[in-house]
Amino acid sequence: MTAYVEWKSVYKAFGDNPVLRGMDLAVTKGEVLYIIGTSGVGKSVAIKLLLGLLRADAGEIWFDGARVDQLPERELAKLRRRVGMVFQSSTLFDSMTLAENVALLLRKHHALSQAKAITEARTRLEQVYMADYADRYPAELSDGMRKRAAIARTLALGPDVVLFDEPTTGLDPVSARRIDQLVRELAKTGITAIVVSHDPPSIFGVADRIALLYQGVVRALATPAELEASTDPVVQQFIRGRSAGPMETPGF
Amino acid sequence: MIARLGSAMIDYAKAARDLWLVYVSTIAGIVRARRSRSPRGEVARQMFSIGNRSLVFIIVTLGFIGMVMTYEACLQLSHVTGDFSQLGMQFIRLIVSDFGPTLCAMMLATRVGAGIAAEIGSMKVTEQVDALRMSGVLPIDYLIVPRFIASLVMTLALSVVGATVMYLAGGLTAKFSFGVNPNLFFDLELLRLRHVGMFVVKALAYGATIPVVAGFCGLRARGSSEGVGWATTAAVIGSSFAVIVLDFVISAAALFIFGGDL
Repeated sequence: MTAYVEWKSVYKAFGDNPVLRGMDLAVTKGEVLYIIGTSGVGKSVAIKLLLGLLRADAGEIWFDGARVDQLPERELAKLRRRVGMVFQSSTLFDSMTLAENVALLLRKHHALSQAKAITEARTRLEQVYMADYADRYPAELSDGMRKRAAIARTLALGPDVVLFDEPTTGLDPVSARRIDQLVRELAKTGITAIVVSHDPPSIFGVADRIALLYQGVVRALATPAELEASTDPVVQQFIRGRSAGPMETPGF
Repeated sequence: MIARLGSAMIDYAKAARDLWLVYVSTIAGIVRARRSRSPRGEVARQMFSIGNRSLVFIIVTLGFIGMVMTYEACLQLSHVTGDFSQLGMQFIRLIVSDFGPTLCAMMLATRVGAGIAAEIGSMKVTEQVDALRMSGVLPIDYLIVPRFIASLVMTLALSVVGATVMYLAGGLTAKFSFGVNPNLFFDLELLRLRHVGMFVVKALAYGATIPVVAGFCGLRARGSSEGVGWATTAAVIGSSFAVIVLDFVISAAALFIFGGDL
């Protein structure tokens, strides 16, 4: 199958610290792919490189048949209409209500008036069961509610791909499973989802395929069942969460 | 050793280039804001935050500085000549051409500069700046342009208030500590239009510099709260340093233009 999103030999370092060291990964259209790995291995960096929020030192990144890693900021705006991102900390703007947060995106990308954008934003919030909280400020809501509102904001532009950066981190188990359900519902509508996660129930309950990132490259790329059956000791140590094993974990 | 020194110099040069780019982008952002008729609510909010919330701080600090300066000047004069006839005239000339806007800006560099850097730095480390970019909003347009416009207006306004308070506080100190006649002190004979021109130019230059330097430091924040702390410290140092350098440059330019008449 042709790749819809692809990282080709991507390198990225921060100062003297190399993070990605030739990462190769291809994602097909409509699939839910989870990127897993230890903290600091470069999972979030990889998805930010796709959106131009960070720039790769070397290698190529492709989306829907076009190279996107060298696009100027103006061109990236077009890419960001098709590829949305839900950030780890929800990143709603504190000074705006939920409706205003979603409306900002619609005003800027679709050039809607404020009134029309707010009406449209309420519809988007309804899709994630947050319409009743449209006029509330982020600080007045729980983490799970903020996360759902952030997802509504990302979906407001009708993206083809949604990148989730640890969407269930810090949430209670019930809220976390509701977010998982939302990811699955998105996949049913044909949206491609790339999810960075540490959360085993999410990973094995939702993913079509899983990529294990280790030492700056994709160590394993497999379905959940294949990954569970893997004989690679590094894969086994990570998915079983064992402290002892061959994995190098800097800082420990 | 030499390599490390060279590397540090390259880092400073890159930072200077990036700061310049932020300045240019801010000016371009003002043009974009005018064209797109962006809402002015954010500018008004920033004017309140920078101006109204600094008012008491500026009045108190500049009032005390005015008192100390006049007291010291009177003390020295009483030891040497005992003639206070030139005191008020020279004091107002000094306040208008230099100390009023400069001391006000130094105070704003600490209060406003730190606030801007901390707010933008927090947004940077919590990925809100990335979220802005994802929303199709240029961070400089949203975060720095409103603060730039607000600071330009409010630094000038606060400088006028601060200079007035400084002058009045000085006059009262001279009257009650050394018995200087207020009619003698509050004499504007030596004040010229060029001094007022320097006042305006300096206040606008400082007002334009503090939010850009502080915003630039905020946007460079990395990591977590430690990065925000670093950005805040850098903003205070950077904007205070910029105020002093600008003071020297504008004063030197004025001296070059007006010569001995200054």
